Amino acid sequence: MSDSAGIEYGTRSDTGRVRENNEDSSCIAPELNLFVLSDGMGGQASGEIASRLTTETVVAHCRDAEQNPALPLIGGRLEGISDATNRLVSAVRLANRVVHKAAKRDAAQAGMGATVVAVVVNGERVSLAHVGDSRAYRLRNGELERLTQDHSFIAEQVRHGLMTEQDAANSNLQNVLLRALGAEAEVEVEAGEEVLMEGDTILLCSDGLTHELSDAQIAGALGDADDPQEAADRLVDLANEAGGEDNITVIVVRSAPRLVGTISKIGKWFRGS
Amino acid sequence: MPKLVLKFQNSVLKEAAVGEREVSIGRSPDNGLVIDNPAVSHYHARVFNEEGRLMIEDFGSMNGTFVNGQRVKMVALKPGDSVEIGKHTILVADSRETGDPFFKGGVPRPAAPKINETVMLDTKERREFLQKVAAVGESAQPAPARVKVATLVVKNGKTNQKEYTLSDKLTVIGRSAMATVKLKAWFAPKVAAQINRREDNCYYIGAAEKVPTINGQPVIHPAKLSSGDIIEVAGIQLEFVYRD
Repeated sequence: MSDSAGIEYGTRSDTGRVRENNEDSSCIAPELNLFVLSDGMGGQASGEIASRLTTETVVAHCRDAEQNPALPLIGGRLEGISDATNRLVSAVRLANRVVHKAAKRDAAQAGMGATVVAVVVNGERVSLAHVGDSRAYRLRNGELERLTQDHSFIAEQVRHGLMTEQDAANSNLQNVLLRALGAEAEVEVEAGEEVLMEGDTILLCSDGLTHELSDAQIAGALGDADDPQEAADRLVDLANEAGGEDNITVIVVRSAPRLVGTISKIGKWFRGS
Repeated sequence: MPKLVLKFQNSVLKEAAVGEREVSIGRSPDNGLVIDNPAVSHYHARVFNEEGRLMIEDFGSMNGTFVNGQRVKMVALKPGDSVEIGKHTILVADSRETGDPFFKGGVPRPAAPKINETVMLDTKERREFLQKVAAVGESAQPAPARVKVATLVVKNGKTNQKEYTLSDKLTVIGRSAMATVKLKAWFAPKVAAQINRREDNCYYIGAAEKVPTINGQPVIHPAKLSSGDIIEVAGIQLEFVYRD
């Protein structure tokens, strides 16, 4: 799949080999170069509801803003980031309110929550917003960089020097989050900005991927694949082979090298599309 | 292997495993388990293995070491014991059980808990924890003074300004339209390098089309910038400084 701006993407979501249902959701608005992934939590089916409400709300708010640029920002403007990034943060804050309200309204959904990681690409500028432990990575020239910090109990301990990376990897508190959508009426959203170079690959993923695979395995799968869909499939297959203990969802976004983009356009022209 | 779990009120601050080597406890940073609190002596106590028994010995500390409420000089410890030093508590746990003390008292868990289930700390616990880590974090590592303004000073090379104030989350160095530090040389790269301000309010430089150097060292993975660092990339030289 590709669009005119040279952005290609692939996505896959899988229940894994242990869980009975898939509480992850993803939603893509190709016309906005907007990619959203969420991992839900809560009893019965409420995790699925929380993650779907999250991804759908983020996309809907960004689409509304595209139609009406004067649409107010939810929760005010942050300094030092672009309008596009502020819009994405606004969308995530709205998703928090929607999930929080749904959890309060319906007893069966009490306590539900969700993580979110969302990316929008505008030319060379990449806007990021996230809450929780779903992650964004970037592969550039073979080097994998994590673009997000987990909002988890463990990550916070490591960040403050109270725990070593080694202890963190062995801890049984891996899944305790400090920030999630739905927990409170307002949430602190972490915003980031990046520059997208030709050939860069961005990966959004739920923790079902990162608990199973090392950075080296992720970098290898992203680097070896011919296109983003192949990369997405390969990552999910590898995570399942490694145990598949949790739901696994990935979105792979690639800025196609200009030469490849040009060749594919010529190809389309020959095929008359 | 037994583990010591250091807690302050309801929050777990850190853990230390007691294996062959003893774990010393105290306020000095060279202890195995550092408790940064004036009520704790610099070298307060130690926990060690003696013929398969876990022992604790107080080093004659000012405010004492208490096990399950009793002041002790040297006693054997067993899993479940609670060691009190100042206002801090050290729980003795089998390493497999270390998570449990934390789960008790408020972490929402489903009726049939699965070890992999993601959970949120409830509001009260989360606030308490964040206050604790903020307090500990500040005494452990002085944060960069936030009133200072990060600035790039051009030492050498063709750029559109002589100085740049880094107020944005992302600063691009290159020929691109989105670049803040605009390179004016003819064959300059569109995006030579990037500088990100992260949540910790520190600045990190990373490679793009070019691999920058900090003080002559190439930057493969994003590296934190300190005041006085000299950055070289795409034929320009910049000094990173925090200004008052």
